[in-house]
Amino acid sequence: MSNLRYLIIGGGPAGLNALETIHQLDPTPATLTLVSDEPPYARMALPYVLTGQIPAEQAFTGDAAYFQSLGVTTVFGRRAVKLDLAAHRVSLDDGQVLPYDRLLLATGSKPTRPPISGLDLPGVTTLWTLDDSRYLLRMPGERPHVLFIGAGFIGIIVLSALFKRGWQLSVVELQDRLLPTMLDRSAGAIVERWLSRKGISTRTHIGVQSIIQRSSGRKQALLSNGEALEVDLAVVATGVQPNRQLAVQAGLACDRGILVNEFLRTSDPEVYAAGDVAQGPDLLGGAPASHAIQPTAVDHGRVAGANMAGRRTRYAGSLLINTLDIAGLQCAGYGRSNTAQGDMTTAIGDDGWSLRKYVWEGDRLVGVTLLGSPEEILFDADLGMLKGLVQSQVRLGAWRDYLAKNPWDIRRVFAASRTAGKLLPETLLGRPAQPRAYRFQGIQPQTAPGPAYQHFAAAQGQGPESFPSVIEMLEGSKSQ
Amino acid sequence: MRMLRIVPQKCTGCDQCRLVCSFVQTGEFQPSHAVIKVRSFEEQVRFSPYTCFQCAEAWCMKACPVNAITIDPNTEARVVVTPACLGCGLCTIICPYGTIYVNPTNHKATKCNLCHGAPACVKTCPTGAIEFVEVEEPQDWMGSWAEQNNQPFLLALARGDYNPEIQKERIL
Repeated sequence: MSNLRYLIIGGGPAGLNALETIHQLDPTPATLTLVSDEPPYARMALPYVLTGQIPAEQAFTGDAAYFQSLGVTTVFGRRAVKLDLAAHRVSLDDGQVLPYDRLLLATGSKPTRPPISGLDLPGVTTLWTLDDSRYLLRMPGERPHVLFIGAGFIGIIVLSALFKRGWQLSVVELQDRLLPTMLDRSAGAIVERWLSRKGISTRTHIGVQSIIQRSSGRKQALLSNGEALEVDLAVVATGVQPNRQLAVQAGLACDRGILVNEFLRTSDPEVYAAGDVAQGPDLLGGAPASHAIQPTAVDHGRVAGANMAGRRTRYAGSLLINTLDIAGLQCAGYGRSNTAQGDMTTAIGDDGWSLRKYVWEGDRLVGVTLLGSPEEILFDADLGMLKGLVQSQVRLGAWRDYLAKNPWDIRRVFAASRTAGKLLPETLLGRPAQPRAYRFQGIQPQTAPGPAYQHFAAAQGQGPESFPSVIEMLEGSKSQ
Repeated sequence: MRMLRIVPQKCTGCDQCRLVCSFVQTGEFQPSHAVIKVRSFEEQVRFSPYTCFQCAEAWCMKACPVNAITIDPNTEARVVVTPACLGCGLCTIICPYGTIYVNPTNHKATKCNLCHGAPACVKTCPTGAIEFVEVEEPQDWMGSWAEQNNQPFLLALARGDYNPEIQKERIL
């Protein structure tokens, strides 16, 4: 009997993956409690809610029956306000006090608020939560004109969703290029050109100074270049910051986020942190990283959960990976993709949009950017193989120069470097991964072949004898 | 589990696996939409089929934000639950083998599902370059085979015997 009291603060992917891992590894916890100010949902699903492609319910990642099946007590709609490390207790905003033996802080991050006056006006919003999405969709007007303050990852994702709705869009970015954490200037320039072709105006190296309400109900944004933009709505997307207040007040070691070691443990031995709020090992080495992305949250949650449940599991580190649709131009990146200096190769395709950028450290690949059509990038580009090359940090030897000279021929380099063979034995938790237990409406995978397959099967044996049996026959006659 | 073992030495590059794969997976004969690919190493007139290893870590399954990828209880294949898929492409970028894609027609994730236990590519391959057999652990079949060709290729490249000038249009 472990008889441990597990407490998890935060119901995002880090929290839920930790819960499931603990449930799998510790059959006899005393309590398994989840506190979350929002119901659990996938933030990555929100753009699809915004476009109307899915109902809001499809974004949820757990329901009451699911939590019951895991033996989890849920406390939703409440916020943790105080952590007492000495007493092993967390206080909530309604006065409840929850004791723990093992605590996970998976409190995520929140949008930053730049110093711009007028951000509290109606029709000026961040787009981070499900409620934010619902708020924007309730806004009146057929094709409202929306100003994006900030052209980071989140901003561009939301921008693309609203582009699909046919809204009018303008972007103002303080830095010298779009997507500054992902792209260098040359890639940023391609994206700018693409957006302008789609009728989306972009302004870089320009700040928004204030937003004022006009009597017409519209808003006027005053820019640092003296320009005044009149719009219906404004979306603030200037980046996110970790929700680390609880940890800071409790005296846990923090930098940008809560510092964790390779076991996802904080400076307190019974307290772990995971996801956006955690700052931990970087797969490519160097200083502790905070990679606020879904895959890192999942990895963190699983590794933290395993360690909390007593299975010592070392985490090799997170890798920054991103993919997004920029109003029809697909962008993908790995590792140090926005590096502007050093050893790198950039190639631009004949169409002027397709781009491959490789950042090298000796004969190892440490950063990648791809641009192209969605069909190219997500079907034909051997995108994942590049991830394999970065993730494995395989030494490419002579193949480094080959890839630099033939940037579109990834598969030969991937095969030659035996990267698949290096990665196949690796698992995060030292055992085959298990599927998660909750899915929208409990939809089950198709387990029987579809009509096309049946057509194929019916046609089998009707034609000439199959080649393999012919070969077998020939080989048989040879040996006689 | 039973999985697809690739025997690159036997592949002739005829592409019939892709043709039938696209048909049984999408209902259309469109080899470019197949979830098995034939990797061509044209200068050497050598080819290798390549598809999902059904790997133990199941990167695609773990990364999916809405759990739209799971394990088929009958075949143990990692399969996409298409109606639950958002089409966000995270699986495509996280798979370190490059074997899960977003289908350009329905914009949903697509990968090898072992045809629910009787892979059409295996039945169709005229030379037996794809086997459906019980395997303890998947192996880097294409990589092991490629190693034999690498040294001669690099030497020839250095001598200037090949001028690949590989255009992306040529790579299928």
